[in-house]
Amino acid sequence: MMLSHYLAVSGILFTIGLFGVLTRRNIIGILMSIELMLNAANINFAAFNRFLYPGQHLGQVTVIFIITLAAAEVVVGLALVMAIYKNLKTVYVEKYNILKG
Amino acid sequence: MTNILLLNPEIILACAGLLILLSGAFICESRAKLLYHLGIISTIAVLGMIITQALMAGYGTGTMWVIDPAAQFFKFIVLVATVFTLMLSVNYTGIRARHIGTYTALLLWASCGMMLLSGAMDFIYLLISLELISISCFILTGFEQKNPRSAEGAIKYFLMGGLSTAVTIYGISLFYGATGTTNLFNYATAVELHIGDPAYIMGMLFILVGFGFKVSMVPFHFWAPDAYEGAPTPVTAYLSVASKLAALGAMMRIFASVIPHQEINITMLIAILAALTMTLGNLTALFQTNVKRLLAYSSIAQAGYILIGLVVAGPIGRESVMFYSLAYLVTNIGAFAVAMVVAGKTGSYEIDAYNGLSKRSLGLSIVMVMFLLSLAGIPPMAGFVGKFYVFASAVNTQQFLWLAILGVLNSVISVYYYMGIARRMFFVGSEDESPVETDIYAASVIAVTAAATLLLGILPETVMRIVKSCVAFHL
Repeated sequence: MMLSHYLAVSGILFTIGLFGVLTRRNIIGILMSIELMLNAANINFAAFNRFLYPGQHLGQVTVIFIITLAAAEVVVGLALVMAIYKNLKTVYVEKYNILKG
Repeated sequence: MTNILLLNPEIILACAGLLILLSGAFICESRAKLLYHLGIISTIAVLGMIITQALMAGYGTGTMWVIDPAAQFFKFIVLVATVFTLMLSVNYTGIRARHIGTYTALLLWASCGMMLLSGAMDFIYLLISLELISISCFILTGFEQKNPRSAEGAIKYFLMGGLSTAVTIYGISLFYGATGTTNLFNYATAVELHIGDPAYIMGMLFILVGFGFKVSMVPFHFWAPDAYEGAPTPVTAYLSVASKLAALGAMMRIFASVIPHQEINITMLIAILAALTMTLGNLTALFQTNVKRLLAYSSIAQAGYILIGLVVAGPIGRESVMFYSLAYLVTNIGAFAVAMVVAGKTGSYEIDAYNGLSKRSLGLSIVMVMFLLSLAGIPPMAGFVGKFYVFASAVNTQQFLWLAILGVLNSVISVYYYMGIARRMFFVGSEDESPVETDIYAASVIAVTAAATLLLGILPETVMRIVKSCVAFHL
């Protein structure tokens, strides 16, 4: 296993995530895609740390930080999804069209 | 050296937020407005601390964060905006009494995040402060739970915010891969080894996306009008001023100072984005019929003007950005305050609600005209001086002369829609002629911001002297 393998996996994950965010209609699907993108960054950090800078721990520590951030963000996101579901009774983003112009 | 004491203002603000959150659970609903006052008092106390430490300089935890006059200046702006926002919230009807504690606490934490952001010297630290701002602001935007507009604005803000955060984090990971550090301090030496490294260039571009989102730079501005329209009006004022200016402050440090801009030609990219931002913001604002949306697009355009100063960089660019930030702070908060008062009476944010306002409340319409003139950049208001400094800094460089010309053209366009509101207030009649009353809190915010708008416009030299003394980065 070389660095490039890890980078390829992370690049593919990131692209899948980005594609999902742009094309998904279901809001839960979009949330999951954002998580994929965050995990792509995590793989990058861990892989760079392991292969390029084996002496330091910065990359691995950052991964822990990002996991925490992602958890906090998804909690707020799901709460907001609940709020809008109570109001509009749908999880499909194209139905969210009160605000426009 | 840890120097954790340098973070005292932020720590105190965060603790005050916790205290207010806890007391919100126990206070009876009829007295809940006390919590706003508690929030205002603690913010003012922290503001006092910041002013007394204005000329301090130092690093914390290695070089994780920095305290310097420029950072203190942006902290000052954020805290003033927080005080105004809390004062506007006191009589805002959309927030239920039992949620006041949460609301105030979230506002204080968002401000805490912005204060941290303005001194960030490390990408991890920067990321956490950005997230602190984002998460608090997502909740604040969706705070009117029963209002579908608020929920929709919040969810759109959240989706765009989550995407931009993910892209930024990926950018930071590439930056780490290219340079082996997330710190900006040793960066100048590190960068010479990595110029032209594709991972590094891509990393910087991805990080720019995160900032572009925060300052609502085109093409990352789509969330702004929806979030601004849906959010409770005090929060809209807060988002449009505090979070935007704090992000600009951090952007100024990272893209205009720490990273030598001749090394990587990101400056030209930001220049083009600034041109797009002001043009698109102004052109879309022309067609808006909702005042909050109009002010949202106008604030996108204003961000474009401020970005000119950032592109110019150097002390001249920086001082123009800082002066413009001050002018924008008082003007925009004032304009949103008037919009809130008018909507409180008429129940609508549509532009028709302003018909014949001068007969219903002459004072309010005169003050609104002052704010609109300032936003349009017409003397003798603060906005004029701000624009003057920004455009002058661009003219000085020759290279960015075209940006100044485009900026002036844009200001001319913007006069049309700003004065459209003024015309309605003075020259269009309405059936309803009942007077519009302003409560004491909103009135004091409007009075202070109006006075500041005028003072910054007629006595810019005094303020500029203070701004000039804050311009130095401690690197």
